[in-house]
Amino acid sequence: MTDSLIEVRALRKEYRAGIGRPPITALDGIDFTVRAGELFGLLGPNGAGKTTTVKIILGLTAATNGVAFMGGRPVTDPESRRRAGYLPEGHKIPGYLTARQAMTIFGRMSGMSSNDIKERIPLLLESVRLPQWADVRVKKFSKGMTQRLGLACALIHRPNVLLLDEPTDGVDPVGRREIRDLLREEAKNGTAVLLNSHLLSEIELTCDRVAVLRNGKVAAAGTIDELTRRTEKYKMIAAPIDDSLLAMFRESGAGVERVNGHLVLSVNDLAHLNTLVDGLRARGGMLSELAPVRSTLEDVFVDLIKAPEAQP
Amino acid sequence: MKVLWANIEDVWREAAARWTLIAYFLLSTVFIIIFASAINLDIVDGALAGAKLFGKEVEMHDQVSIEKLVLGFESGFSAVLYFLCTFLAIFATAHLVPRLQEKGTIDLYLSRPVSRTKLLLSRYVSGLLLAGANVLYLLGSIWLIVAWKTHVMHPRFLIAGGVILFVIATLLAFAFFVGVVTSSTAVSIMASCGMFFFSAMLAAHDRIAAAVSHEWQAAMIQTLYWIIPKTAELGAAVFAFVSGNAFGSRMPQMTATPFLTTAAFGAGSLLLAIWRFHKKEF
Repeated sequence: MTDSLIEVRALRKEYRAGIGRPPITALDGIDFTVRAGELFGLLGPNGAGKTTTVKIILGLTAATNGVAFMGGRPVTDPESRRRAGYLPEGHKIPGYLTARQAMTIFGRMSGMSSNDIKERIPLLLESVRLPQWADVRVKKFSKGMTQRLGLACALIHRPNVLLLDEPTDGVDPVGRREIRDLLREEAKNGTAVLLNSHLLSEIELTCDRVAVLRNGKVAAAGTIDELTRRTEKYKMIAAPIDDSLLAMFRESGAGVERVNGHLVLSVNDLAHLNTLVDGLRARGGMLSELAPVRSTLEDVFVDLIKAPEAQP
Repeated sequence: MKVLWANIEDVWREAAARWTLIAYFLLSTVFIIIFASAINLDIVDGALAGAKLFGKEVEMHDQVSIEKLVLGFESGFSAVLYFLCTFLAIFATAHLVPRLQEKGTIDLYLSRPVSRTKLLLSRYVSGLLLAGANVLYLLGSIWLIVAWKTHVMHPRFLIAGGVILFVIATLLAFAFFVGVVTSSTAVSIMASCGMFFFSAMLAAHDRIAAAVSHEWQAAMIQTLYWIIPKTAELGAAVFAFVSGNAFGSRMPQMTATPFLTTAAFGAGSLLLAIWRFHKKEF
């Protein structure tokens, strides 16, 4: 028994391109899982298959091959969506409804009782900073407010899986932070959150784990820590650092750069790094800091997207 | 049931917010007011002594039985209301599926734990309730006005609303199918109105089939006649039902066949709409 609330196995999706034309492959056998309490980011350039993946999980589109499960049920079963909340990109909550009416309708469609809905609405509107807008028609809302209301509608039925497509789109910086905090709070309570965004900084700040999609395949997956760590590069702060020490490092095959009073060492592996540390200490040097040099998620993303695709 | 309530609330709120509901009932009210003010009856001892229509005296040679007059009024008006109710219903409900299928809207509905069949049927029932409310309002108001002015009550006039609603249900099912396939309100309206008139035209299928030059064309006309709804025959059925066949000699003999084939068409359209909606990728 796993605690995976979303599970995707060998998922493949082809779209018909027209008579006589080969089908377009949107997803080419992707696998990933999102566990309870985890914030998972789905990244990729336009057309990589992010939205298609989310739509398959929600039963909006059928997979050509492979399987997907949500809450332990196949996604073809509408009951799999019983405790799923979804905020689509560019969603259109009917403008003729007020915030309260929209939340009531979507709450009812999720099987909630009227009393439960009445209790939840003020709490959720408070948490998305819209308490005074409860009885105003959605058509009067700004983009950011509509987005926050969309999040409240997605949360109305206490979902244990949240799928969010660009949730901070159009939201001001304070609102973004509040949404991040809200998502962290939901995750802390055991909700699995799948975040689909182009804003890499948002993903970096919010998610525990990410998968980068490229041409319908998972090009890389792991924790933010794993993806942004450059294992071959280390920052070293030590004293004394003299030319003979640098020459010794270079002789061992390491790349050495002086940056703002510290060294950036490029090594082959951990054994190589340890040899350099041994050399420093053998010369009476004192090591005060040794840490892997990290890149940003954006660096990793750009490198992955630009890298030539591996041939099967 | 919660899904149905949610959809009913959604459809009615949309109709109210987009002025559809107001326009729908306003047009009906205008018709009712014209009807109420146009007719002025002078009844003496249960018989009609004089009548004014749009302010003009109607020539009366003998005293006419008020019962017969009301029957004539209601029969004639039921035929007018048959057209009015049907077309108002098509205009007021044809948008239900195309608007639901709009990008950014459909995702919000389908991401709920509701099967597509349930969602579409809830939408269909909601639309039918909206149309049914208007049929009841129109027929009920006219029935009450007639009852108030003449003290004659014919429940058959009210019950004829059932036949009108049956035709609306059939055309709404067809509009849903067209809406699912095309996602276009305009096309749904055109197709439903076109179906109404085309089907009325095919009431003369025997004469059309005899006039065409090829046998296959005649066979096609006859086949189409049996497939599509019988709007002309059902209009005649409304008239015959309200009049209690008092004008039987002028009306063709009514059978169950137009009802059965129309019901089959409506059910078929709805099943096709559900099937297509299930297959559709959003």
